[in-house]
Amino acid sequence: MIEIKFRGRGGQGAVSASEILGRALFLDGKYPQCFSLFGGERRGAPVVGFLRVDEEPILLKCQIYHPDHIIIFDPSLINEDEILQELKPGGMVLVNINEEMDFLQSLRKFKIGFVNASLIAKDTGVGSTLNTVMLGAYIHLTNLVKMDTLVEAVKTMVPSKMEENIQAVKEGYRQVKIFEVEE
Amino acid sequence: MKDFLTGNHAVAHAVKLCRTPLIAAYPITPQTAIYEKLSEWEASGVLKGIMMRTESEHSAMASCIAASLTGVRTFTATSSQGIALMHEMLHFAAGCRAPVVMANVNRLLAAPWGFWADQLDSLSQRDTGWIQFYCENGQEALDTVIQSYKIAEQVYLPAMVSLEAFFVSHFMEPVDIPEQEQVDRFLPPLDLPHKFDIDKPGFFVPVVSSELYRKYKHMAQESMDSVKEIAVKVDQEFKEEFGRGYGMIESVALEDAEVALVTAGSITSTARLAIKNLRKQGNKVGLLKVRLFRPFPVEAIQVALKGKKKIAIIDRNLSLGSGGIFCQELRATLIHSPDHPLTYSYIAGIGGTDVTPEVIQKIAMEVMSRTEPVDKPMWVME
Repeated sequence: MIEIKFRGRGGQGAVSASEILGRALFLDGKYPQCFSLFGGERRGAPVVGFLRVDEEPILLKCQIYHPDHIIIFDPSLINEDEILQELKPGGMVLVNINEEMDFLQSLRKFKIGFVNASLIAKDTGVGSTLNTVMLGAYIHLTNLVKMDTLVEAVKTMVPSKMEENIQAVKEGYRQVKIFEVEE
Repeated sequence: MKDFLTGNHAVAHAVKLCRTPLIAAYPITPQTAIYEKLSEWEASGVLKGIMMRTESEHSAMASCIAASLTGVRTFTATSSQGIALMHEMLHFAAGCRAPVVMANVNRLLAAPWGFWADQLDSLSQRDTGWIQFYCENGQEALDTVIQSYKIAEQVYLPAMVSLEAFFVSHFMEPVDIPEQEQVDRFLPPLDLPHKFDIDKPGFFVPVVSSELYRKYKHMAQESMDSVKEIAVKVDQEFKEEFGRGYGMIESVALEDAEVALVTAGSITSTARLAIKNLRKQGNKVGLLKVRLFRPFPVEAIQVALKGKKKIAIIDRNLSLGSGGIFCQELRATLIHSPDHPLTYSYIAGIGGTDVTPEVIQKIAMEVMSRTEPVDKPMWVME
């Protein structure tokens, strides 16, 4: 079983990203389970989405405390202590970041992906929603889902700007910088 | 067809598949997604029925009762304060013998305010005369709504399908949506023996004498008792058509269990994993899932727990001044057991607090080492 945490701000598409990825895994014949911490959804406020996936139906009906992967949609939400505390050993981190890579030194014991998602989203014309860029980068980092499957899921779940979003997935995939674990 | 859905949307699919002509509801978190999905389908023409957007839950239930008495299938969905506001009408639905079906997304009752999972909202309606089911996931909620129509329409009593806020209502999981032809085969159109007819005006809810009231209640009690048998039969028919069945209760690894856990709702699902873990460690712990709460399946539970020495009931609800409500029912059920099992009451998951496999395993191990009875409920405060 793989557990994934999506951290972002309302409006960035962190929760919808968990649902699109869940849909892609479902299309792959896996057993995904998606949920978000509800109650306080509004634009700009921190939001958290979760995804579990397994080869068999998931029985757990409880929260995720120690994810295998953490995806951070907003640079202002990067909290190194929190990641160190939560992430499972051997875990992976994907962050939307617009600065140079010597940032996040403390996390280099994890496989880590950096992507300038805000810029790519703007350039591809999707605007301020980062879900498709981040997912493109995520599948490059983790190889959890094939590009074709993700694009198919995007087509069923994204309400508008279809071509732009598919382009965003591909650019996210292409532009993510991946750093293997530093010994 | 398999789809990737929340528990709320699974319920909406069930209502559509049952061709329910009249849905009367008022939105309330965390049930609103059921209402919204049905509204969306009404607007697009996919739903053949009518949505009545009432001004309150009390009116929603009154509308369902009135429509039901004209002989049509009805549905409403609610939660928490909504079901509390409906309370008076819930008695009317059962008293009028209207086979209304309702989904209740279990949410805590204010005050203080919150949106989180807690079964007190529906359990505190236990004496209203409604059939009550508790479901552990979206698939079961969908299937139970379909089954509920078939049961309710045979006994002329309303049925409530409960699914917990968040852990079921908002968890998105693969769900098998039955084909329309299958549901049509399984669930015949509603044909009530007595119904309002514009051409032959009639009258419901007259004032009755004490003796008539008593007779009426006695008949209702007999109908409610018959649900135990009818629900089993309907579940078997369902299994034949759809390949899935649930039973009124379910025993998991109980045969040789030294400790039996008893759960209802989504905690059951997590407990299944806890039982696997405990068994791997060599601990003989089993599980009894209670799916049907009204009528309470007394005889079936007595058989399932026969010979068990220690039983722990986990309740995501609390009757202040007493304790866990499933525990009360279970203790009453086992009162005549010749071997007098020790029953332990655990309050866990109140207000949507998390119940992980570790919490359940800890409860089981604690009960393993207990030898003395404990009357009071024990709170899990992790």
